Amino acid sequence: MSMPAASVACPKTVEEAVRILAGEGSGAMVIAGGTDVVPNLQMKLFSPCVLVDIKRIESLRGIRVNAEGELYIGALTTLTEVENSHLIRQKYSVLAQAVATVAGPLQRNMGTIGGNLCLETRCRWYNQSYFWRKSLGGCLKKDGPICHVAPGGSRCWAAWSGDSAPAFLTLDAEIEIAGPRGTRRMPLQSFYRNDGIDRFALGRDELLTSIVVPPGSAGRHGTYHKLRIRNSIDYPLAGVAITLKMDSGGICQDARIAITAVNPAPLLISQASEWLVGTKYSREIAERVAHAAIQTAKPLTTSASTPVYRRDMLRLFTRRALEQLWSAQTNSGINSPVD
Amino acid sequence: MAQFSVIGKSLAMVDSSSKVTGLGRYANDLTVPGMLIGKILHSPHAHARIRSIDTSRAEALPEVRCVVTGKDAPNPFGILPIGHDERALALDKVRFIGDNVAAVAATTEEAAERALDLIEVDYEILPAWFNPVDSMQAASNWIHDDRPQNIEKEYHHVFGDPDEAFRQSAFIREETYHAAEVNHAAMEPNATLAIYEPDGRITVHSSTQVPYYLQRTIAEVCELPMSRVRVVKPLVGGGFGAKSEPISLEIIAPLLAVKAKRPVKILYTREEVFLAHRGRPFTIVELKVGITKQGKINAVAARVIQDGGAFCGYGPVTVLYSGALLGAIYDISNVRYDGYRVLTNKPACGAMRGHGTVNVRFAFESMLDALAHDAGIDPVELRRRNMLAAPCITANGLRVTSYGLPECIEKVAAQSGWNQKKGKLPFGRGIGMACSHYVSGAANPIIRSNMPHTTVNIKIDRDAAVTVYSGASEIGQGSDTMHVQVAAEVLGVNPARIHLVAADTELTPVDLGSYSSRVTFMAGNACLAAAKNMREQLFAVVARKFGCEPARLEARDDFIFLQDAPHERLSFEDAVILAIAADHHGGLVAQGSYTPPEEARGGKHKGAGVGPSPSYSYSAQVAEVSVDAETGRVILERIVAAHDCGRALNPVAVDGQIIGSVYMGLGQAMQEEMIWDHGRLMNPSFLEYRIPSTLETPPIESIIVESEDPEGPFGAKEAGEGSLAAAIPAVANAIFDAIGVRITTLPLSPEKILEALREKEKSERRTAAGKLGAP
Repeated sequence: MSMPAASVACPKTVEEAVRILAGEGSGAMVIAGGTDVVPNLQMKLFSPCVLVDIKRIESLRGIRVNAEGELYIGALTTLTEVENSHLIRQKYSVLAQAVATVAGPLQRNMGTIGGNLCLETRCRWYNQSYFWRKSLGGCLKKDGPICHVAPGGSRCWAAWSGDSAPAFLTLDAEIEIAGPRGTRRMPLQSFYRNDGIDRFALGRDELLTSIVVPPGSAGRHGTYHKLRIRNSIDYPLAGVAITLKMDSGGICQDARIAITAVNPAPLLISQASEWLVGTKYSREIAERVAHAAIQTAKPLTTSASTPVYRRDMLRLFTRRALEQLWSAQTNSGINSPVD
Repeated sequence: MAQFSVIGKSLAMVDSSSKVTGLGRYANDLTVPGMLIGKILHSPHAHARIRSIDTSRAEALPEVRCVVTGKDAPNPFGILPIGHDERALALDKVRFIGDNVAAVAATTEEAAERALDLIEVDYEILPAWFNPVDSMQAASNWIHDDRPQNIEKEYHHVFGDPDEAFRQSAFIREETYHAAEVNHAAMEPNATLAIYEPDGRITVHSSTQVPYYLQRTIAEVCELPMSRVRVVKPLVGGGFGAKSEPISLEIIAPLLAVKAKRPVKILYTREEVFLAHRGRPFTIVELKVGITKQGKINAVAARVIQDGGAFCGYGPVTVLYSGALLGAIYDISNVRYDGYRVLTNKPACGAMRGHGTVNVRFAFESMLDALAHDAGIDPVELRRRNMLAAPCITANGLRVTSYGLPECIEKVAAQSGWNQKKGKLPFGRGIGMACSHYVSGAANPIIRSNMPHTTVNIKIDRDAAVTVYSGASEIGQGSDTMHVQVAAEVLGVNPARIHLVAADTELTPVDLGSYSSRVTFMAGNACLAAAKNMREQLFAVVARKFGCEPARLEARDDFIFLQDAPHERLSFEDAVILAIAADHHGGLVAQGSYTPPEEARGGKHKGAGVGPSPSYSYSAQVAEVSVDAETGRVILERIVAAHDCGRALNPVAVDGQIIGSVYMGLGQAMQEEMIWDHGRLMNPSFLEYRIPSTLETPPIESIIVESEDPEGPFGAKEAGEGSLAAAIPAVANAIFDAIGVRITTLPLSPEKILEALREKEKSERRTAAGKLGAP
């Protein structure tokens, strides 16, 4: 499969990159590690005139903590660097765990954390070759009139299939976005629009430059459970990230639960987080939270695994994740099976 | 036992350095000046008549050199003489989504792809058949007009008296098993470079397991004499059967090259590899087995339906292997087999590692485990009570010359700790066993003839280099290394002295190809015969010099010497010079051939030609698993696999073949599956067609059993396929031991296991409720 005949621009600064993006308009497309973009280009899912290769922008690399105690991760930091960062493993373990499950080692060496937050949404009717889609007559997301997952509707249900986003959501992460009018910051939660086509709030002339985790999230106990067929390579079929803060008596002081791969966006289960505050572990509360997770999840036939199984596993993984975190922190003797 | 100097040693594969350094060249690595890129237009419809094709807009593109359609090459072809139903490009109708409609040769890949979009095809869409059970009922719109009810072939075999034997059975089970369609997933996608020579000949470098059949087919379709077609096989990155018959691109590239009078290369995308397919068909096995109280297998009856896709391919062979090998692994006198190969509007299935045996073995070995349970006999013990006594002829006329299965069973039972574990592990952990077997080459050639199946030539000249010429195809299995080891052993020279020229129809004598695990047995025997002939020539002149009988001589470590006086010796180089000079002989040449013996070629019933082999390999395996009863997920803890390969000519290569076979079986067992939606393949990529990663692959402990076959080269027989089939039922049986449910549909996915567990809980609750309610 050939690559489209696009030219490649290689800006060395964020300003230059933004200038190129603003000048080219919808014909430009950002490429970093390329692990998501390149196969999609070969499948002719995009046909940009210009590929803006941002890998030479050195200021977008690296992991640091600023004077305010915020964790800064440059968008070009590779997933392997995030996974191996001592700081992240120690203080933001949910993120290290989630990133370690992305694809395989080769993709993590190439893929960037910014790219992982800007993944294309996925659907078995969409992530196919030009021949395949043409023989079908396209789909709502690309070149066609109907959604093959929900034929009656006018909405695209392609699934958000990233692993790092739910982890960042449970750390209250914010992102920085550079554009022609300077840099703005926004909560990661507001970035995603829960629409398979119009995925996130990023202008054509904007670039995600860094992810910022507030000081209050450091040291939260967290875990990420991912449903997949293979223990490597696969995108999630469902996933749940949870972070908890607890006092010495095992009473939850703060909680975040985020789910992935079961909606067009990664989503926080905010209400359930509130239920957990002030409680000790019980099977009932774990089941209640797990039920809330599957109430929010809308897995459809976007992947080979059935929606029923993905929903069942999301419920189970949510319960198991809570058990695991509580038992690890309180040694309360709760049985904690690990997937 | 004879003391060998090269045989039985774990030599590094002779082509390994070229592979690990990246210097080796596969078909797609080849480029020649002026080369064009070929691309194929595929059908978007599963079943449609072609009303017209307009290629004018594509031809008008400046980068396009030529366009071909079905009319450019109407001659039909197919691997089997009874199944010439394919054409290079569809002539009048398309039969599956992905069928080949037209092809373009252009100066760049991008231009060729653009040209495809400009070809206009007018289709009349026809009703299509996607499920073999429906397809068999079709009253009209048959996929091929000369195949009523879309049945490609059916066979009905009865050996002994199954009905009476069932009446005398103490335990009988009946069950229907299903196995999903799987693909070989060879790492290297198919690639072909066709070079149009200035004198009108054509040279084709192609990723093939069968250069000779490809040469024949290109000649037939392109209407050239065979003598003007040369096929060369470069390095091949895995075949597993996918490349064991001529694949469309291998015909289309020469067609384009002849028309453009330029070299043309085609590389399939992974999706095109899936659409060319030739993998293992979706199979329905309706099985009935009866055993006595003592555990003797009395009777077997199987009705097998294989979903063959749109063309014949190897289909009749697949369905015949399923019947021939179903019962022949054990001592079973009464067998009924009804096999159907059915056409559907999907890519053609074909030969895949363990060809024809795998899905019936899954059914049979699963059922045997259940019957052992019914009879209260340990599954290992049950198998012990059904062993053949070689040499013998099976009920369906297969000649068994060596039979290491009993030793395989004892070894895996001991090494896996079977007696300590079976039935004694906690809920969620289990152990299971199964057996399988395979042919060491088909005793009957695809195209019946009295010619040898394979010939090997050896040349030695004044430099004392030994050049071995063999048509056999190295596809990663060790064919080249096998030749080198056999020749080096016989001639008593360092393997480094031997250079192999292989799989080039212009230079090498005919070998039928790398399929049915035939190369070690057949080409090995031919190489052995050629090397012995060469050794006789050398010994004759050396004996004359020493004034002794040739029988007193021995060749070893690059010397020829008297066995009883080793200091009386001549270096290999000196012996060669002596022989070349003797009687003005000139350079030395020798030839050896192999033809399977008459008595190995099977019975006389219809379809008896498939199944017979000069020898059979055997495998026994034990799987240990853990099952998460809440997710249905199976963790493969360990596989112990013993394989009777007669003699391991190269033990590390045999270990690799056993481990590779088991790994491939585990992929089919656990997760591999081609998923269809109305004839549309939903997962034509390695992202969604999930061959196992190293993380799901358990430790696989291979055990080599050497039964020393009387006719194999140094006693060797098959090692590359026989261990695949047992892996699947071994795991299924281990899952039963772990959680008490039997999954009868492949793959053994978490969803199916969870569903089966829930069903079991429900029925247990019902039973419990029933008991409580009883007076």
